Amino acid sequence: MSELVSDIQKILGETGLVLGWAATGAGGVAAPERFHTAEEAEAAIFDSTCVHNLAVHLPRLKARAVGIVAKACDARSIVELIAEHEIDRELVKVIAVTCPEMLDVKTIWRRHGYGAVIEDDGGELRVNGELVDRAAYTQAKCLGCEERPSASISASVRLQLSEDFQIMNVEERRTFWREQFSRCIRCHACREACPMCYCRDVCIMQTSDPHWTGGGINAGEAEMMQMIRVNHLAGRCTACGECERACPVGIPLMLLMEEQNRAIYEMFDYRAGVDPEAKPPLLTFDIKGDGWGEE
Amino acid sequence: MKFISSDAIPELLEALSASSVVWAPRELTGSGGTVMFERWRTGDPIDLEHFSSLSAKDVVLPRTEKLFGYTYAFGGGLGGAFGNGAPAGEQLVIEPAEPAPPAVLFGARACDAKALDVLDALFNNPEGEAYNDPQYQSRRKSLTVITLACTTCDEACFCSSFGNGTSEKAGSDIIVYPVEGGLLAEAVSSRGEALLAEPIFEESEQAPPPLAETARIEGLERLEEKLPRLFDDMDFWQEISERCTSCGFCTYGCPTCYCFNIHDEMRSDREGERQRSWDACMFALYTQETSGHNPRPTLAHRYRNRINHKFSYYPENQGKILCTGCGRCIRGCPAGLDIRDVLRAALEEAPREP
Ligand code: SF4
Ligand code: SF4
Ligand code: SF4
Ligand code: SF4
Repeated sequence: MSELVSDIQKILGETGLVLGWAATGAGGVAAPERFHTAEEAEAAIFDSTCVHNLAVHLPRLKARAVGIVAKACDARSIVELIAEHEIDRELVKVIAVTCPEMLDVKTIWRRHGYGAVIEDDGGELRVNGELVDRAAYTQAKCLGCEERPSASISASVRLQLSEDFQIMNVEERRTFWREQFSRCIRCHACREACPMCYCRDVCIMQTSDPHWTGGGINAGEAEMMQMIRVNHLAGRCTACGECERACPVGIPLMLLMEEQNRAIYEMFDYRAGVDPEAKPPLLTFDIKGDGWGEE
Repeated sequence: MKFISSDAIPELLEALSASSVVWAPRELTGSGGTVMFERWRTGDPIDLEHFSSLSAKDVVLPRTEKLFGYTYAFGGGLGGAFGNGAPAGEQLVIEPAEPAPPAVLFGARACDAKALDVLDALFNNPEGEAYNDPQYQSRRKSLTVITLACTTCDEACFCSSFGNGTSEKAGSDIIVYPVEGGLLAEAVSSRGEALLAEPIFEESEQAPPPLAETARIEGLERLEEKLPRLFDDMDFWQEISERCTSCGFCTYGCPTCYCFNIHDEMRSDREGERQRSWDACMFALYTQETSGHNPRPTLAHRYRNRINHKFSYYPENQGKILCTGCGRCIRGCPAGLDIRDVLRAALEEAPREP
């Protein structure tokens, strides 16, 4: 029996529910699964297709004890949820797993056909039996991961993209985003996949009172909606990359998140989801520790 | 059969765009390989190889459409009569939506075209019947559907579970088959016949290629009877929906989901537009009432509605299953939820016939 399965079974004894993954997802890869019994837990797996951040389910389950299998980036979301007092530290038991760098399953399937068989032994990556370049199919967030500096890949594709982006002037950026948002269908998958977007049915990206966005589906409304989403995640985003992964039309949302995360780090010396005791910067406005000069 | 060479396809689309809006699938730049049905303009590439991430339903059910414009001509007060029945001299002026221009949908798949036929049962009825939708009808009546027959399919396709599968002709005017050097074309309606009479199409003796056989789930029509008996089994709905995060993708990507919201967009306090936009039953706010009560308070309730609407309510009321097995909800679900697992579970779980 794998160590993971026995860890889950042990935690089940305390919580009666553990969030993990099983090989039951669409297309034959891992998908989120809830384990209630030792027997169910035998199906638990952890591999490079366990891309989902399961912390997204914690706010819905906050009334009860729950165990959760978490990668390093998922753990940051859990820490941030605790720091925000959204979930109770005492009720959540984290089973940490060592991340093998997650695959960009969506891109693999786009290039090799939906449901193409992925075999990853940790070294070689094969798709439909054919040896492929791992770096081309590793998630961008993993390439730049600070939690687990990659031994295999040094260059960060994502950082490159954002440097290109930084040299654009405001007009060019506006054109870039207008074009990107023109295909947004306002499905809110970016919001629903985000562990920090827990306002759910009172999210002002959708309410008519207050009426911050209209009901139409077009680039203008999408831009407004993203401005709200991104700003509401200032100092809260843990860079898990789920918003971008969930987006069905491939909008590079992490460009926005990373720019903002960088600004927050520069201004407030703060990274979300690192310290459960920390006060998020937008609750203190404590710029680089200088405070407001007021008591 | 007729034949058109690959080189002549842009010429065909160009000719069609003289009198119609042309929709065709295209991979969008900088989108990580997203293929969508977009308005075709001269020089645009088309993608007849990949499945589109979203369906072609925008053609009849736009993401957002104007129902009418309104202006308070003078005074600007909100008093007086509302609606078209306002007597002359009153403040409210209604500006009706422009009629839809004729359109051509090029490169839809059999599951997209069939979806139009399924939606027709609700939206496209003769005047005087309970349901008919003038905006849908005006688009549908002037729409020519040129369907690309599938010679390959992928693991998410299950259209064979619904009647004719890849050889389905419902909803189409012309079926085109990919062959060496171009497309074979077969008319399946009189509108299609008229178009194929154009000289750009050559006569051909070629036989069409064999079509793909997709996976099949047997007995889906039994769900109309079985789902109502599962309705109150919240443990079942909870269990099958627990990995879902309650986004709107499966609904918005689906060719047959048609729910909408009607909303007013004001340009000022005197004028604005009443619009209709896509809405999704998977959103928490979808059934939120003003009182604060929500008859579908949890994700499990919302997922139950999605499945029941497609496989029980719509078949009961409109005589057709509201799913064509296109697999888009499966390929695109960020949580890895597969509707086929749910359907199989429901078929097994439902009590046996008395
Ligand atoms: S905004 Fe995106 S990257 Fe940041 S925590 Fe939410 S899902 Fe993760
Ligand atoms: S997931 Fe993508 S398409 Fe959906 S609302 Fe977010 S940005 Fe728009
Ligand atoms: S696309 Fe997936 S996660 Fe989103 S509502 Fe549908 S089933 Fe749930
Ligand atoms: S429910 Fe899924 S498979 Fe059925 S028509 Fe809609 S998107 Fe396609």
